[in-house]
Parts: sequence; C-alpha cells; structure tokens
Amino acid sequence: MSNLIKRDLLLSFYSSANFFFTVSFFILILMLIPFAFGTQTEQLKVLFRGVVWIALALSIIITVDRIYNADYEDGNLDIIMQKNKTIEYLIISKYITHWFIYCLPLLVILPVLSFLFYLDYLETVQIFINLFIGSFGMVFIANFVSALTLGARRTIFLKAIIMIPLFVPFIIFGSDAGSWPILLALSMLSFVISIYVTAYGLRLYGE
Amino acid sequence: MYIKIKNNHIEFIKSANPYLIFATIFAFVIGLYYSLFQSPPDYIQGDSMRIMYIHVPSAWFALMTYSILAGSCVLWFITRNPLFNVVARSIAQVGMVFTLMSLITGSIWGKPTWGVWWVWDARLTSMLILFFLYIAYIFLWQAISNKELASKISAALAIIGFINIPIIKFSVDWWNTLHQPASISKLSTPSIDTSMLIPLFIMTIACFLFLVTVSLIRFRLVLIENKMLRTSN
Repeated sequence: MSNLIKRDLLLSFYSSANFFFTVSFFILILMLIPFAFGTQTEQLKVLFRGVVWIALALSIIITVDRIYNADYEDGNLDIIMQKNKTIEYLIISKYITHWFIYCLPLLVILPVLSFLFYLDYLETVQIFINLFIGSFGMVFIANFVSALTLGARRTIFLKAIIMIPLFVPFIIFGSDAGSWPILLALSMLSFVISIYVTAYGLRLYGE
Repeated sequence: MYIKIKNNHIEFIKSANPYLIFATIFAFVIGLYYSLFQSPPDYIQGDSMRIMYIHVPSAWFALMTYSILAGSCVLWFITRNPLFNVVARSIAQVGMVFTLMSLITGSIWGKPTWGVWWVWDARLTSMLILFFLYIAYIFLWQAISNKELASKISAALAIIGFINIPIIKFSVDWWNTLHQPASISKLSTPSIDTSMLIPLFIMTIACFLFLVTVSLIRFRLVLIENKMLRTSN
C-alpha cells in the first residue's frame, strides 16, 4: 500500500505539476467572485463561504479523469489487481493520494484566500474544518464515479452530472459554520458506500 | 446475455399494444373531462389548482418508477436474471418524462399561487436531482460501449441514487418547506374533498396506463435492439 501511494505521488509530482494547476484553478474561480458580484466587504464574506465549496467541487470534478484512467489505459491496473488479492488496499491508497495531490494544496492555500476575502481568524478555522472533513467525502464520491465510468472515455460532462447531485448534501451542510459533525457523518457514509462500489467497478473492468 | 421468453408472449405484448394505447387515451380524456369540467374550483386558488390533477400523479409515478428501477436493479444483482435489467432500462425514459412533467406543471402552478416560477426548497430541489439521476442512468448506459458492462455500471448508479427517493418523500415533513405536505396519503381521512378525489383517481389510472403502455413498447424495443431475444415456441 505504501508502495502504491509512493508511486502515485511520484507520478503526479513529475507529470507537469498537476497539483499546481488545480490550485491555480481554485484560486481563479474564487477570484471571479469580486468580478461577478462587486467588492463590498460584507457581500464578499458571505459569498466566499459558499463559492469555496463550488470551487472545491469543480476542482474535484476536473480531476476525476486522472484517478484510475491512466492506470487502466496502460494496463497497470490489471497488474496491480492481479498482484494484490485485496483490491481495497489499492482503493484506499488511491483515496489517500487523490486527497493529498488535489485537496491538500487547496486546503493549504485556503487561509490565505480567506484572509484576502476579509474573513477573521475564527471564521477561517470554521471554513477550514468544514472543508477538511467534507473534502474527504467528496474524494470518496469522485473515486467511485471514476471507477464506474472507466469505460466511458472523455465524458467529463457525464461524470459531472453523476457527481454533482451526490455533492449536494456536502454543499448544503458545508456552508453552515458549525455543521462539521454532519459532514463527518456524510463522509463516513460515503466512505462505506464508495469502497464497495469502487471495488465492484474495478473488478468489472479488470475482468 | 439472453432472455428465454416465449415467442407468443412477445406476440401478446405486441397485440395488446393498440388496446393499451386506446385505453390510455380514453382514460386521459375522461380524466381531463372530470378534472376540467366536473370538479369544483378551489375556494382559494380558483381554477389554477386543476393543474394538481396532472401534477400529483406524475410526481407519484416519477417516484414509483425510480423505485421500480432501483428495485429491479437490485433484483438483477441478486437473481442474475437479465429480464430485470430490461425492465429497468425500459422504464427509465418514462420516469424521466414523469419527473420533467411534474417539475413543469408545478412550475406553472407556482407562478399564480406562490408568485414565482421556482423556489429552492427541499422538495423541488430533490425532484430536480431525481431528474438528473434519470439522465445519469440513461446516458451512462449510452456512454459505455460494452453494453453488458454498461448495464451493470448504470444499475449500480441507480441503486446509489435511490438514497434520493426517501429524501423527496419526507422532505415536506423533515423541513419546513413551501411545498405543502401530502394530503392524500392519510388514507382514513384524506384532507381533500371527494369531488376532487375522483378526477385525481382517474388521472392516476391514466398515468399508470401511460407508464405501462410506453414501458411495454420500450421493453420490446430494448429486447430487439440488443438482440437479446432467443425466441422459442
């Protein structure tokens, strides 16, 4: 499992700085708020809480093609699945690497951004906790959608249509300040569903 | 993946088709006559509540169709009988039409009653999500070229999407929504007058006939389309 994590992290690190683009995408979407809604401080503070979730959802959606597709197309997935009888190790390592590569950079940059949007220390911590917990659940959902749609190539819109309804509960509860227990429950629920469905999808395509 | 179905069963479905179409049209005509002319207008909403006669049955059947879809996907996984898969696939488009119908009619009713075409409350939003679940189910199947694989994948998605159905059903009880709670489900004492219940009942039957008719046509088409018929006499 640690080998798989190391391999994926190294691959993403050397492949034209993928995480750099995701962070840039995240910042640019948030940068659109002042252009779209004007620069009143109070309004920006309110909008930031919600749009940060939309930006996170979009960043995860554009990365959904990169979770299993490269391994599936060059045949690595078959080899890994033949070597490891318990496919769940592969899935959990994919969760961890996907979160590390595409969500952790966003969370690192988040305090800087919320400072730019005039939020104070306490509010930043609240948003950070919510995003930290919610991003795990969204990563779990993105993983199983990626595993299920391995056969449907270049259908990012279809994947978005599948994923956005499943993101809705996270966005509803995520924009409330003190609702991290609900987000935790949602993330754990989506973990339980996701690990079964991902394994099911991978086994179907692996056959 | 073949279905063993007797040739005369398919012939029976085929020959029942015109009768079912006729019965559907007949039921819609009777139901529309009752709902437009034979029932009194509401004492507050006036004539605009007549949309309810098509809105409520289509919303019911949108939920029921998704339940059948998810249920037959589950049964397909358990029994491995491809018939359930064909049932799920033949019913999906009708369910999408019912969902769209209930959204559009609700919107038309909302304009004179609530003053707006759309509100972002729990019932309406979860219904919109149901529409996209149908779309995801249908188009995911089309996107994957290996059709047996596609059926399995989209069935898994349909089962996951079933989470939404209880949310739609109980959204009016759990959250304080603008959409009114159910008035028919209280079976002993429905909070709706008999003169309004009769056209609603006829329209429900008409919608059910529509569901059956279109699903049976789709059922036959899905079988032919995928060359899944191995007919025997």
